[in-house]
Amino acid sequence: MRDVAIVSFAQAPLDQPPGQTETMMLIPTITEALGNVGLTRKDVGFTCSGSADYLTGSTFTFVSMLEAAGAWPPISESHVEMDGAWALFEAWVRCQHGDVDVALVFSSGRAGLGHDLRETLLFQFDPYYLAPLGADYVSLAALQADAVLERTGKTERDLAEIVVERRRAAKANPYATISGDYTVDDLLAKDPVAGVLREHDIGPPVDGAAAIVMVAGDRARDLCDRPAWISGLDHRVDPHYPGVRDLSVSPSAKLAGEKAGAAGVEVAELAAVCSHEELVLADALGLGAGCAINPSGGAVVGNPMMVTGLARIGEAANQVMKNGKSKALGHASSGPCLQQNLVCVVEGRN
Amino acid sequence: MTREPVQFMSHHTKVEYKLPAPSLLSIESAKQLAAGRVVGHKCPECGKVYVPARGYCPLCVIETTAAHEVEVQPRGIVTTFSVITPLQYQGQEEHDDYAQATILLAGTDSTISMQRLDGIPIDDVRTGMRVEAVWLPESERSASPEGAARGFGLGRAITGWKLTGEPDAPVEEYGEHIL
Repeated sequence: MRDVAIVSFAQAPLDQPPGQTETMMLIPTITEALGNVGLTRKDVGFTCSGSADYLTGSTFTFVSMLEAAGAWPPISESHVEMDGAWALFEAWVRCQHGDVDVALVFSSGRAGLGHDLRETLLFQFDPYYLAPLGADYVSLAALQADAVLERTGKTERDLAEIVVERRRAAKANPYATISGDYTVDDLLAKDPVAGVLREHDIGPPVDGAAAIVMVAGDRARDLCDRPAWISGLDHRVDPHYPGVRDLSVSPSAKLAGEKAGAAGVEVAELAAVCSHEELVLADALGLGAGCAINPSGGAVVGNPMMVTGLARIGEAANQVMKNGKSKALGHASSGPCLQQNLVCVVEGRN
Repeated sequence: MTREPVQFMSHHTKVEYKLPAPSLLSIESAKQLAAGRVVGHKCPECGKVYVPARGYCPLCVIETTAAHEVEVQPRGIVTTFSVITPLQYQGQEEHDDYAQATILLAGTDSTISMQRLDGIPIDDVRTGMRVEAVWLPESERSASPEGAARGFGLGRAITGWKLTGEPDAPVEEYGEHIL
């Protein structure tokens, strides 16, 4: 296998002009990601992007977003109707072929445009048995929250404590939607919105864009002092029907973690959009007490759908590139109740 | 009493979306159109002119702003067209066959598509036709950027395009822009 490293990560700032298009968010984000390592669009051998037309309700939106990558003369590119983390997976595979050294990965989303994301995401369900139930992602998450609290003996207080910690950590992250000092009692004073889940337990759907540059082989060392070498990358999926799963555990996250070599990571950035999902994932990935979880604040402080997972991988890479860590993990998820999970493990080498 | 296995199931769905807040660029374009001006942006690097303006040059991948605004005449050449027989699906508003044209406006490097033709029988529609805009009366033009998708952004003020009466353009004049 060819050694591939993440050498740069950039995100679009929260503060955007009114009506900003995804293409306009992506242009400076991609320029910054490449510029961080002295590269331009001409240096890219393969481009892969992630997005979902259902978020904006328009068809083929990702085609115009390609203009942000500079698609003339024609470029070698691909797209996944998924979180950008899966675009990163495809780009990593492409780098294994040996003829491409530099890959650009980007993703964007305007999750705030749906009348209600809970309604839009019903489209991910089987139309025969699941969609007609109208079981939205928050209601299903509440079922999973019940299941994991029952299995572990943890409570709503524990969930609120997770949120308090993440919002405090998010004060240091200019890309987090919500940050600040809160108390568990303040949070618990609000009424639940579904099951035990309160509004603070659910990452708000927001607009966003991010880009990552990956470089294969020794060239990564020429461009970056401390590349985040991808030592493991794997993704797995659980059954589609929540009814046939034990929602308190995540076999797909566990298997992806094992295959990616998650043991011993110092930092884990988890795409837990709901607070209880951190409990399920920490358990599945075997994260020890010494592992720092979501120092960026994670996804419960802001959910730029389609970017959330890629941003976790980017944050994990930054922990290696900029924060001196030796082993970090970025996680991405898709589907209801953590149905699909991707784990990326990055290492620093001296 | 035996029943046939279910082969088809109707699955009617509806989902609502909010229109995105209009961009500053579309607000400006709408104001100009209501005043009878067709404007675009000229890329400072390659010099190409795009109508409607996108806020960036897709070839150079640099931002363009109001500083790069240029006005173009509302006249051009039909580069290609389709004759559409509207499928009568639920919600369809069109009933008769109609032609939809793509037009290269004079002085621009990008085409505008989904334009209607005014007073031209379908059988007479051809590429190379020289056309000019048919404007709504000033009082009926909308300065609102909503409905911006209509007519490639021009539908709030221009309802269609009519023949200028000049001879057709030779293909060399527009051949590079046929999609």
